[in-house]
Amino acid sequence: MRHPALRLTLALLLWLGAGFAAVAQTAVAPLVVRSALSAPGAGAAFPADALALATALPDEWALSRPGFGGTLWYRVGLPAPAADGPLLAVYIEHLCSNHEVYLNGALVASGGRMSEPVTHNCNHPQLVSLPRALFKPEGNTLDIKLAGHRLEEVGSRFRAGALSALVIAPHAELAPQHAWRSALAVMAAQAASVSLLLLGGFMFVLGYIHRHESHLAYFGALAVGSALADARLWLRELPLAHQRVEFLLLALLAFITWAAVQFLLRYAGVRLKLADRALPAQTALVALSMIVAGPRQQHTLALLWYAVMALEVAAAGALHLRLRRGTRAGRLMALLLGAVALAGAVEVAAQWSGERGTAVLLAQWVMPVVLVLVGLRLVQQHGHALQQSESSRVQLEQRVREATAEIERNFRQLSELKVEQVTERERKRIAADLHDDLGAKLLTIVHTSDSERISTLAREALEEMRLSVRGLTGRAVRLVDALGDWRAEVVARLGQAGIDGDWHAPDELPFQLSSRAYVQTTRILREATSNIIKHSGATACTIHCTIADGDFLLVIQDNGNGIAPEVEGRLDRGHGLASMKNRAKQLHGQCLVESSPGYGTVIRLTLPLDRATGAS
Amino acid sequence: MDEARPITSSSDAETAMKTILLLEDLPEIRAWMRKLVLQVFAGATIHESARVHDAMEMVAAVKFDLALIDLGLPDGSGVDVVTKLRDVQPEAQSVVVTIHDDDEHLFPALQAGAFGYILKEQPRELITEQLQRISAGEPPLSPSIARRVMHYFTEKAKPQAQPSPVPNVSLTDRESEVLLRVAKGYTLPEIGVQLGLSRHTIADYVKQIYRKLNVSSRAEAALEAQRLGLFGSR
Repeated sequence: MRHPALRLTLALLLWLGAGFAAVAQTAVAPLVVRSALSAPGAGAAFPADALALATALPDEWALSRPGFGGTLWYRVGLPAPAADGPLLAVYIEHLCSNHEVYLNGALVASGGRMSEPVTHNCNHPQLVSLPRALFKPEGNTLDIKLAGHRLEEVGSRFRAGALSALVIAPHAELAPQHAWRSALAVMAAQAASVSLLLLGGFMFVLGYIHRHESHLAYFGALAVGSALADARLWLRELPLAHQRVEFLLLALLAFITWAAVQFLLRYAGVRLKLADRALPAQTALVALSMIVAGPRQQHTLALLWYAVMALEVAAAGALHLRLRRGTRAGRLMALLLGAVALAGAVEVAAQWSGERGTAVLLAQWVMPVVLVLVGLRLVQQHGHALQQSESSRVQLEQRVREATAEIERNFRQLSELKVEQVTERERKRIAADLHDDLGAKLLTIVHTSDSERISTLAREALEEMRLSVRGLTGRAVRLVDALGDWRAEVVARLGQAGIDGDWHAPDELPFQLSSRAYVQTTRILREATSNIIKHSGATACTIHCTIADGDFLLVIQDNGNGIAPEVEGRLDRGHGLASMKNRAKQLHGQCLVESSPGYGTVIRLTLPLDRATGAS
Repeated sequence: MDEARPITSSSDAETAMKTILLLEDLPEIRAWMRKLVLQVFAGATIHESARVHDAMEMVAAVKFDLALIDLGLPDGSGVDVVTKLRDVQPEAQSVVVTIHDDDEHLFPALQAGAFGYILKEQPRELITEQLQRISAGEPPLSPSIARRVMHYFTEKAKPQAQPSPVPNVSLTDRESEVLLRVAKGYTLPEIGVQLGLSRHTIADYVKQIYRKLNVSSRAEAALEAQRLGLFGSR
């Protein structure tokens, strides 16, 4: 993702490093001491009585004095400095483990404890000032007392007793070189330790909280382990015997391997039961093997374990890269693992040759830098995942809100439906009450009144009441159904009165009547039928229903006496002609009565269907 | 023609209605009804009741030929009396006499086993005619109820999602034909003429339709009860 930036940063670092190295090299002072006399001795001065050996510098005890451990004196002769020359100093790039420097028998520098636990100065370049006052005109000797360990007792060649070549030059010239070397070897290690400790602790906590991201916890353990391991490079004083320190270091390395392998597996999404069990077991085995092997086999054992662990990490790395092949993350990881492998190779070469140049020190940087980069990448991924989960949480909230709104909407609809149902139920209850009370009373009037008119009025009141309680919801009536009802009533009544009823209506009438139109028409028809039965004296009656020009036409014709003009003119109540006409008018139609004495009566009822149909 | 043949023979259609139950809570209307009934069924014994409770006791004690039952009563619905009569005196003919002209009231009564209904507010001569028809063995059937019955059986005939374990009660073609004509306002004698059958046969069809309505609704009720687990788990 950030490949270009990463490459740029690395290039910049290398360039800076190279630049510093170049500066340091130009400042190298001329006098390089490459040989010395050496003799073992624990006293406060060069053992004059002991057999001194001419020793080439740099000297490694493992080569010059195999199996030797303890304190060894080195003596070199120094020429007298110029009378008013600059302050001289001796620069010792590498010594192990600790030293005391004497100029003409006078102590001019001490690195710390010379007996167990010996101060660890193996990684610390030394710059010792040589005070002019101590110089003699001639026969100056520089003695270095060195406390060190056998190679067999240490896990790394660079922690075995050794002394590099001595460089003697003006202090001012040596100081930058010493500073550069210190920065490279010591301060970088300190910085790495601190950063890795912080990063590792942070990642470990992160991984501990998010259990499903266990690779974070392993990475944290790896970083913390590396931080502790790097402490060996700069931590001088440890309240532990040398052997314990070596034990801890190798055990720590086993732990780092454990964390590294698990991180590589888990980060690639693999969870191996074998690894889960074998790695802690291996850590224990490493510790056990060191106890069993004893102090003199430490180096061999350590080399053996290094090889095993390196293979494990390499295998885990290979598996990781194989699983994430083709992804950007995989390519990044390949780059970083390649860098680590290269650093490892440099370290192996250094161990093999004993050479400890700038490249070796730079290689020590690789692991912390890689760890920091991976850590940043992990934090970035974690942040990304966090962001995603946040956004999906927001989406979820949105969905919940929508669902809530939906539920509320449904609930509202349900409530409205409920209200409708309740209203409908209430309407029915009122209707039933009215029927039972008012209806019953009206009915009593209908059937007990002596007056036909009162009885009719009561019947109409009853119908009116029904219409009211049915309200506007009173359903529209299909015209064909209405005709069926009318026919049944009219023909039955006529038949009851002994009049031959003849009803003509089309079979199919795709129209509807409003309930009011239906009731009014029923009344008109009922009135007309009553008239025929009571007054006409007819023996036959024909009813024609037709649809013409959007009007509903009902023609009732009888063969009775007809209505006397004076009766019609008086709007005889008994005949109810006026009320029939009124009703027709209410429906925006008309009711015509044609009658002549002796020729029967024709009633023509015309209703406009667009009004009469009402809302369907 | 066999399948269209009604179960009851038409010979006993005109059995005299000798014992009649009159269930009506309004005294005036009851008196008026009694007068009408006695005009049509001369010499009949009329047992009057104003409450469902009393009517139930009478149904248990007296064997009725005809029951004229009001629906809205102070202590309940006349439908219960119709149901009871159907159960204990299947041969008694229940006719609902009511002020309610809406299907919501009438249809349950018909499903409970009533053979027709009479609207109380109708002109006297119409009620008289309907009672006469009853005495002649013709159960009242209005066009509106005929339409409702047709609708009921049409809905039932529709293919259902799950096969009903209830024996499917459906109308014969003849019965449907009669219903359709009633819905158009034809009287039973008219339909008889149109179909070339006697009015008694048509009347028997109508009775058969009423019976099927009752049987079908009972089967439905049983099925519903079973579904609700009223008969225990099976």
